[in-house]
Amino acid sequence: MSYKFDFEFLAERWPDFVAGAWLTIQLTVASIALGFLVGTVCALARVYGGPVLRRIVGVYVEAIRNTPLLIQIFIVYFGLSSLGLKLSAEVSAIVALTVNMGAYTTEIMRAGIQSIQRTQLEAADCLGLTRLQTILHVVLLPAMERVYPALSSQFVLLMLASSITSQISAEELTATANLVQSDTYRSFEVYVIVAVVYLALSALYRFALWAIGLVLFERRRRLGTPL
Amino acid sequence: MKTGTVLRSLLGVAFAAVLFALPAQADTLDDIKKAGKVRIAIDLAIPPFGMTDDKMQPTGSDVDLARLLAKDLGVELEIVTTTGPTRIPFLQTNKADLVVSTLSITPERAKVVDFSIPYADHPSVVAGMKSDTIKQMSDLDGKKVAVVRGTTQDTDLTRQAKGAQLVRYEDDATMALAFASGQVDVLATARSLLPAISKKNPARTLEPKITMQTFYLAIGMRKGEPRLLEWVNNWVRTNLQNGRLVAIYKTHHGVDIDPAMLLKAGG
Repeated sequence: MSYKFDFEFLAERWPDFVAGAWLTIQLTVASIALGFLVGTVCALARVYGGPVLRRIVGVYVEAIRNTPLLIQIFIVYFGLSSLGLKLSAEVSAIVALTVNMGAYTTEIMRAGIQSIQRTQLEAADCLGLTRLQTILHVVLLPAMERVYPALSSQFVLLMLASSITSQISAEELTATANLVQSDTYRSFEVYVIVAVVYLALSALYRFALWAIGLVLFERRRRLGTPL
Repeated sequence: MKTGTVLRSLLGVAFAAVLFALPAQADTLDDIKKAGKVRIAIDLAIPPFGMTDDKMQPTGSDVDLARLLAKDLGVELEIVTTTGPTRIPFLQTNKADLVVSTLSITPERAKVVDFSIPYADHPSVVAGMKSDTIKQMSDLDGKKVAVVRGTTQDTDLTRQAKGAQLVRYEDDATMALAFASGQVDVLATARSLLPAISKKNPARTLEPKITMQTFYLAIGMRKGEPRLLEWVNNWVRTNLQNGRLVAIYKTHHGVDIDPAMLLKAGG
């Protein structure tokens, strides 16, 4: 068997790939932003909350981190719809990815929050900062700075994992690849192209996250060193 | 990521591509006989063509046909489980020798694989619930219509029902689940599937609304295998005439296929 590469279909189908990549970006940016919020709130609840709240967050985190993402997506899309709550494939994808992102972010942010030394909190106390001010300025931002590399990796992982949402008919990049592949039968070429696009998206996300890091963390901007 | 790492991974991809492109001259019919087994790709998620029975054994009309074919070839049958979108890639990448998986003959597919003469006909329909008043393609405007990605129904509806909102799933089982869970109320699929889907959802009975077109199912194989093609064609002709394929269809589909019509369609 000999295989001849043929990328001719790209001339006609490249807008499909662009549309797919654009939906992938929309889905993942929304889920990353929402998931980060959910995760940060849950991390605070897990560290500072009462025993009941801590237990509830613990169950959420363990339930999500120990089940496959595909099953979570099916539960949101098919399960909720069976109960009468019909969400579109895109909304279901964002909900499921957010819930997933939230659980992983909770653990990462919890590690960051717990890494803040007690002396810092005592200093904040002495300066007369309120509890809210302490959490915002002394705990959260430095905690985030400390776990920023781990967070960034998790965000990029989520972008790659979003390919699974093709299974519930969200027409993102992988779904586009499957569609073009089934029209043209150039499966090898199509998946090589899509792999390259994902690689480019990962690079783009990493660059964006690096830039956001510079804006958020003064130490990095001024000294170029991590915490 | 460091530049060196990227370069190295690109090199890896290039190396894999070279491996793929290495020519290997061989005759599949000889290979099958020499190996003592024939690898046939079948989708086991399309009842009543391919499915698993209550003992988790493969069964269905495509499975029975494959078993009969392997027996007549005098070799063992190895079922390669496949899905709609991966049927042809499995042939191209030599993961299977033949595809017997509700593969209908289309001009696009004929460019990349060779087809045997047809062994059955296969009408595809737009189906909805009894209460739906769909009569023609324009009635689908603004409606969600479920299809399996890459099937002929997908291609046809994309062209003919521009106003419809196509919702594409990866296989029949997921599409059936989407219907059962109420995500979609209309689907475009093979008529042969409707009884099975309706049986599982008594509250949501499907009925055919529009007949899209009738396809002919054939056995697919890689291009450039004249000896294999000839053997398979003769086998299909013989078994249509002696009624063994008709019997398989009667068992699994409850319909009689017409050998004379199929042989005429096959030329």
